[in-house]
Amino acid sequence: MTSAPFPPKPQEPLVTGRRIVALWFPHWAAETSRADYDATQPFALIDMHKNAQRLISLNKAAGIAGLYPSMTLPDARALVPDMQTAMADLQDAAGRLQKCAYWLQRYTPWIGEDTMLQTADGLNDYGLLLDISGCAHLFGGERALLEDIAARFAGYRAGRGITARAAIAGSIGAAWGLARFAAHELVIVPEGQDTEAVLPLPPAALRLSPPHIDLCQRLGLDTIAELARFPRADLTRRFGPEPVLRLEQALGQAGESLNPYLPPPQFLARKNLPQGVTQTEALTALIGELCETLAAQLQAAGQGAQRLDVALTRSDNLVLALALPLAHPSADAAHMLRLFEERLNRLSGGLDAGFGIESLQLVAAKTNAITAPQENIGLSGRLRKSTPIAALGGLYDRLVSRLGAQVVVRPVPHASYIPERAVRFVSVLQAQSNASNAVVNPLVDAAARPLFMLCAPEPIEVIAEIPEGAPYRFRWRRVLHEVTIAYGPERISPEWWDGLVGESHAGAKGHNSKTRDYYRIEDTQGHRFWLYRDGLYDRETGNPRWFMQGVFP
Amino acid sequence: MQRALNSSRQANRAKRQHKLNRLHRLVAKHEPMVQRGASITTGFAEIDAYFDAQVAGGGVPCGGLHEVAAESTADMPAVLGFAHRLAARFMAQGADDDVLLYGQTHAACRDGGQPYGPALAAHGLSVEKLVYLDGVTLPDLLWAGEQALTCPSVACSLLTSSETVPDFTHSRRLSLAARAAERPILLALGKTAASAATTRWRIAAIPNQGWQVTLEKLRLAYDTPPPSAGWVLYPATMQIVEKPNVMPLMRRAV
Repeated sequence: MTSAPFPPKPQEPLVTGRRIVALWFPHWAAETSRADYDATQPFALIDMHKNAQRLISLNKAAGIAGLYPSMTLPDARALVPDMQTAMADLQDAAGRLQKCAYWLQRYTPWIGEDTMLQTADGLNDYGLLLDISGCAHLFGGERALLEDIAARFAGYRAGRGITARAAIAGSIGAAWGLARFAAHELVIVPEGQDTEAVLPLPPAALRLSPPHIDLCQRLGLDTIAELARFPRADLTRRFGPEPVLRLEQALGQAGESLNPYLPPPQFLARKNLPQGVTQTEALTALIGELCETLAAQLQAAGQGAQRLDVALTRSDNLVLALALPLAHPSADAAHMLRLFEERLNRLSGGLDAGFGIESLQLVAAKTNAITAPQENIGLSGRLRKSTPIAALGGLYDRLVSRLGAQVVVRPVPHASYIPERAVRFVSVLQAQSNASNAVVNPLVDAAARPLFMLCAPEPIEVIAEIPEGAPYRFRWRRVLHEVTIAYGPERISPEWWDGLVGESHAGAKGHNSKTRDYYRIEDTQGHRFWLYRDGLYDRETGNPRWFMQGVFP
Repeated sequence: MQRALNSSRQANRAKRQHKLNRLHRLVAKHEPMVQRGASITTGFAEIDAYFDAQVAGGGVPCGGLHEVAAESTADMPAVLGFAHRLAARFMAQGADDDVLLYGQTHAACRDGGQPYGPALAAHGLSVEKLVYLDGVTLPDLLWAGEQALTCPSVACSLLTSSETVPDFTHSRRLSLAARAAERPILLALGKTAASAATTRWRIAAIPNQGWQVTLEKLRLAYDTPPPSAGWVLYPATMQIVEKPNVMPLMRRAV
């Protein structure tokens, strides 16, 4: 049986270059609970569990003395009469783990909580997952990084230490199993060798649920290798889909994502409804209430929201998320609500509430300090206007939330001789750039530029008296124009640095690398145009093309 | 005999004047024609002279809806030039850091292009003060104009639509809002329809760098109506050439 050939793998492991550290703290709750106990003596946390007072978490010394988690307190006392105990505070322990996760951000920004939160006994399990892909070299390699982590945990509270086991592997499943079931405290699996490292571990290393682990034991499957020998279809039939998924995740054949800890939003308003709401009016009223709650929070903290995220959860668990950027930080509930109203009205296809929205959440995702506007006392209503800048910011917000950020723009001068590049449009929401920094070409006479520039130069058919001369008549948008006055040429050469960059893309270079001769033109009707010949005749091109670029009033 | 006739004529005239005054008051009560608040001069001597002499208030009122319409679609650039001229005058009435809201419909944007920053200075406007809506629908454009009236930092809004026209309800709503806010809305239009605008200017480009400007509609109290032939203007700042000693490359007799 054991000599049976290993069946072919269903698929090659994904080579992702991903490196995961799994940390496991077998004695977390006990070791981090109190500052004043004697770490060399047995110590345990006690709680009611399965109808009895049991040991929830113990320290190392207690383990050596023969105690184990989920043991009842009387049994433990019989074994170790002078054991120190304390009541467990599990919420506190979880909070400390989260703190620890933030602290671990010194190694990598991507830290996730463990996927299995309970052991087979139903007790809390404390572990963390770190995605260190691309981070290890900053600490001198994976070995150095792991040893650094271990040393820091060992040195916790003046050397009392936190017991930590760690493993680095290419998948979450492999790292998790190795951290708990490998022979050594610190394990590093070289890239691509996850399979070899995982196969000798017991099936429990696959993050299986207790019934599945029991079943494996009864079937005599002592290692993952024995489990993996079965065809996957048979396993699924016998165990259900979970063990196969876990197996493939451990072997790196199935992907698994790491949900990172994110700092909780500081300003949040939430509302759960007893029954789904579908009407937009009702939703707007509810959002209005949330806006008021949030605005009160923001005002108390002296902050204004710069970005608002609202999440509407439907009864079928679909989450509709809307994000609203604001021009200026605001803590004005009425203003926020108005923006949301605009936004809800403008949703493409309307708001699809399905069978109803059951929960609403409003978060100020980005905030900034605001100076609270002073209340005007004793002035008539007409004088009680907000400050001009804030008013303008409010207008921008309303325009942007209805029309879109790319539509509401402001022109910003840009240092370029090419006319269409001399100005750019940026969203009004972007901070007002230091416009004075932009170089305005002093040679350009503002009156010599058209008031309106076409979005793109349009090719026109031109008849000129001489090839290098001004146009005599031209056809633009199917209308023939007879030229009466032509003033020019104003010659604009390509910027010398342009050709150097554009050498590799011939297309971009081809258009921009010709000299343009601009003419100001008036036709018989009195309409005035700005057009140019692209390329010097005979020197740059044999058959220069003409373009219409702008109109004069 | 002659004297008696004269006196009866005078009495008639006085009676008619009295009736007229009462009628004026009645109309003013329902539709305040007499302008309130600040007004501007256009900077064109002939137009200003007419407003100064004949129109109550002596200028183009800031609070109101003003339409600048094209004689034909090809005249839209001239329309916008005139509208910018008015906008610059309105901007001068506002505070230093007030902005000009300039919006265009999609069609106007496609046909006429976008405002060009470096040229604005020649028309008395500055790049930093411009907020531009780059292509929206007509209802959105009018909505934006109404929103701008609620914000005291927008000194003027200029809305351009070359193909579609706001109907009477829209223009009346905007007109009332503008009058209440005492700030102007300028509509640059390719076509016109019945409207509640305070003024409507009809612009055509004419050869030799000029404009034919007709004041088609004036909802202000005036003594004599504006000349139906309009004014022919050759605005100096709008000249594409004509530097004193630079001859154009080509000039053809028309």
